[in-house]
Amino acid sequence: MRFLPVLLIIILAPLLGGLITKIKNNLRMRQGQSIFQPYYNLVKYFNKEEVVSGTSSWIFKMAPFAIFASSLAALFYMREFLALIFIFALGRFFLSLAALDTGSTFGGMGSSREMFISSLSEPVACLACFAVSLQNGSTDLLAWKSLPLANTSALIAGVALFLVMIAETSRIPIDNQETHLELTMIHEAMILEYSGRSLALIEAASYIRQMIWLLIIAQVLLPLTDPVGISGSQWLLWSCWYAARIVIVAAVIALLEIAVAKMRLFRAVDFFGFGFVLAAIAVLCAVLGY
Amino acid sequence: MQGLSIFGLLVATFLMVIAKRTPALVRSFRYQSFFLFLATLVIALEERQLNLYVVAGLIFALKVIGIPYFLQYTMKKINVREDLGLIANTQISLLLSLGFAYLSWIFSKQLMSSSETTAILPAVAFFILLTGMFLMIFRLTAMAQIIGLLIMENGLFLLASAVLGGMPFFVEIAIFFDVFVSVVIMGFFVYRINKLFTHIDVNRLSRLRG
Amino acid sequence: MSDPLSLFFLATILIVTIPSFVYSIGYLKKEYSPKKILLGQILTFLFVLSMLAVVTVSNMLAFLIAWEIMSLVSYFLVVFDSEHEKSIQAGTIYVVMTHAGTAFLVAAFLLLYQHTHSFDFNLVKVASQTIPVHTRNIIFIFLLIGFGTKAGIVPLHIWLPYAHPQAPSHISSMMSGVMIKTAIYGLIRFIIYLLGVNDTWWGTLVLILAIISCLVGIIYALMEKDIKKLLAYSSVENIGIILFGVGLSMYFMSKNMSYWAVFALIAGLYHLINHAIFKGLLFLCAGSVYKAAGTRNMEKLGGLIRTMPITAACFLIGAMGISALPPLNGFVSEWLTLQAFFMGAWHTPGTDKLFLGFCAAMLALTSGLAAACFVKAFGITFLAKPRSSYAEKAIESPVSMRFGMLFLAGLTIIFGLGAAVIINILSRVAGASLGIDTSAMVFSVNNITIHPLAGNAMSLSPLTMALILVLCGLLGWIIYKVYRKRAISYNTWDCGYYRLDARHEYTATGFSKPLRIAFSFFLRPYRTTKKSGESFYHIKSMTYETHTTPVFKKYIYKPVLAITFKSAKFMRRIQPGSIHVYLAYIAITIFVLIILIRKF
Repeated sequence: MRFLPVLLIIILAPLLGGLITKIKNNLRMRQGQSIFQPYYNLVKYFNKEEVVSGTSSWIFKMAPFAIFASSLAALFYMREFLALIFIFALGRFFLSLAALDTGSTFGGMGSSREMFISSLSEPVACLACFAVSLQNGSTDLLAWKSLPLANTSALIAGVALFLVMIAETSRIPIDNQETHLELTMIHEAMILEYSGRSLALIEAASYIRQMIWLLIIAQVLLPLTDPVGISGSQWLLWSCWYAARIVIVAAVIALLEIAVAKMRLFRAVDFFGFGFVLAAIAVLCAVLGY
Repeated sequence: MQGLSIFGLLVATFLMVIAKRTPALVRSFRYQSFFLFLATLVIALEERQLNLYVVAGLIFALKVIGIPYFLQYTMKKINVREDLGLIANTQISLLLSLGFAYLSWIFSKQLMSSSETTAILPAVAFFILLTGMFLMIFRLTAMAQIIGLLIMENGLFLLASAVLGGMPFFVEIAIFFDVFVSVVIMGFFVYRINKLFTHIDVNRLSRLRG
Repeated sequence: MSDPLSLFFLATILIVTIPSFVYSIGYLKKEYSPKKILLGQILTFLFVLSMLAVVTVSNMLAFLIAWEIMSLVSYFLVVFDSEHEKSIQAGTIYVVMTHAGTAFLVAAFLLLYQHTHSFDFNLVKVASQTIPVHTRNIIFIFLLIGFGTKAGIVPLHIWLPYAHPQAPSHISSMMSGVMIKTAIYGLIRFIIYLLGVNDTWWGTLVLILAIISCLVGIIYALMEKDIKKLLAYSSVENIGIILFGVGLSMYFMSKNMSYWAVFALIAGLYHLINHAIFKGLLFLCAGSVYKAAGTRNMEKLGGLIRTMPITAACFLIGAMGISALPPLNGFVSEWLTLQAFFMGAWHTPGTDKLFLGFCAAMLALTSGLAAACFVKAFGITFLAKPRSSYAEKAIESPVSMRFGMLFLAGLTIIFGLGAAVIINILSRVAGASLGIDTSAMVFSVNNITIHPLAGNAMSLSPLTMALILVLCGLLGWIIYKVYRKRAISYNTWDCGYYRLDARHEYTATGFSKPLRIAFSFFLRPYRTTKKSGESFYHIKSMTYETHTTPVFKKYIYKPVLAITFKSAKFMRRIQPGSIHVYLAYIAITIFVLIILIRKF
């Protein structure tokens, strides 16, 4: 039973990526690619031959598995946010090393920037989690004893987590998934040397990670209790609302991506500074009982 | 006999103050030690204690014969000028030491606050102490410093036997040993200093300061 | 003392020093003459012995003596490479700082003695409750400064990045791994165990110092390109993390939250032994690189993973441990510390929660920066192409060195996976130090799951996590293997340039540039550009240097040093260097003293 949602998340994760792209394109008045395009891409990657840099070592070959493992393992630790942050850090660590391993300037650049961004996002994530845990009594962000929908603290913490999520899923204004411009790219710069099956694993891992972040933020902003002791029709309603929340967050991301321009890299400090202040306010609200 | 040894000690000390050359200083130190030996012997004869005899014997062996001989030997070996290098000349030194004598007399009387006969021995001891200090400060060569220290030690010994009636035997022996060892070490250092700087004028060591 | 606290530190010391010692056999060979090696080993032996003495004696005087022997012997080990002028310099800074620290310790011990009339730990502990509050505060401050100097708490850390890298690597490993921990032992033993914590501000102060140490340490480590110096700065950071645990424990203790006090101290002690292990390991690996390549400058290294596979693998494990990556040991202890903050804050009433949350966030920032730092350290040193001929010629280290590294690397993994067992042991240590009975408290379930007792019980099993990670990785590998597509080897993408070489790789300095800019308010970087060319119009070559301003040295130590020298210069006026004048000073002093005490 525990594995069913996990399996569902894995399967639906690329769909979410496709959905965001689709919303973006539609908002731009374009037809856009199919919502299932990520699946086609993955299949294509898996069936392509792979080119491995001769400069690289076993780190480069092993990294996709480590990244995939970290994203997949994170699914089992969604109820323990602190551990989740560290598990994601594991994947990022190996991705950054793999980027350095090829000796390419792009890789080094991506690695350097990624570590810069992630080290700044971690305190924000931690403090936001702290604010939520002050309500919950545990670092399980998905567990709400009661459902205070208009909870100021959780809302603000959710916004702070949203900012972290933007960085973690390499979205505008921190990163841009759509371009390969060396001035701006971070995540794409790191995986530039990957191709074929390895790339497929890394992409799949990214989709899963994005899904996890969306689930968490949806739960913090629009909390929902577990479906315990409810009958069939109610269960259906519950699932619909559960999915709708995620789509809502995805739509917000898409809106933000088309509305905002990418920031200069060093503006990220201000970006996360803002996030940190938001999280601190969330803690204060939690302390004061709002 | 007591009077004779006190007189001898005083004379030897004044001789040191007016000494201009190192051999003279060593010779006077030998005289002083000899009279110290006499004084100790007198007390030993009166008290009839074995350890006092031993102490007297040690004074004779070390301070009258051993150390002066060693100092003369060192001087011969390093072969330098015999000048002591006076900072204050002999006349002024003599005047100052007369002042010291008077000072120690007052000091001793204050300290003992008793008859003049008992005050005389401590007074001489203080005088010897002060003179030793004076020689260390106002003579240039390293030899003078060594002998000054020895003179001070003599004064201390006399003071101890005058005021306390002698220190415990083992302390006495230990001090003798210390003095002997320190003289040997200092002799060695003088030799090294001379070898390095081709003189033993310690004033020139001031170049070594930071 | 043979209480759990002493035994714990005893074990910590032995765990690191034994592999380091084995390592040193291979490390010292051919580098020095046999006579010097013998001297080095005797000194090392003495060093270990003195550290063991420090953590086991039960008398303040004996403690001081052991402490001083430890400091002096380690000084001789720092200047072991006496041909290098840098060693002498580092040694001098070290010996001055450590003695200044000891002076504070002596003062604190004398104050303790004055009020308790005993040097014996047990008697002092009994009598310490009678000490008036003001004196207690002063003793606390003195102890904090004294031990803080040895531990390398910012701003007293100034000696650490000089002394630790300059010693031979197995000594660096012992100094960074263990010696600075004896200072933490001192803090726990004297402040928590002997004095007892009553005031909240003690813990708060320690926490603030911990924040500063963590951030300053890791930011400087990030800027460093000398691999051993980087590790030394990272020690400053990790001492900060340990202090988070210790300070938090003091804080909870003063609030009578005994469970959380024990829990926080467990976290601190856990990180302490973890840091001993992985920092020892990393220093050994760095030494192995230094021996093979002849340089500690990361900009000249690279590509070592091919020529030195075992060293590289060990370094990677150490780097993962120190970056708090699951399921290794660093992750467990940082997770515990964060949980202590979170759960402790939940049980703390009032706005103190905000402060605790801030501390937790700073710990998270530190751990993020540490990951960046060690991606850089490993990536630049071991990956890509060699950046110089030194790195090209490097060969793998001899067996004894490999043994030392592999042993510690194994421990890094074991201490991660066996967390639940270790926590049970540590709970006894922490309980004994705090004077709390822990038999009724639950910290782990089934010796598999770590389990901080809280409103919503939060649990974590590193063993399961490792299993899940390995299985997921395996799954990825199986998927990878199912699609049997060709993998061909080709050059790195070079934009059609075809002459991609080591000069195009990212450097250590380049890697840390974004963070240098982000923290420029503190680092105050500056650059100097020099053009050299025959004519005004054509520039043949350019040199470009970038540096960061050593803030603490410039704004704290330099002024202090300047004042000291100024006063010394003033004092020199009465120092003509002539023996006669000095003798006269002595005579005058004696006379003045006699007159002053009016004996005649």
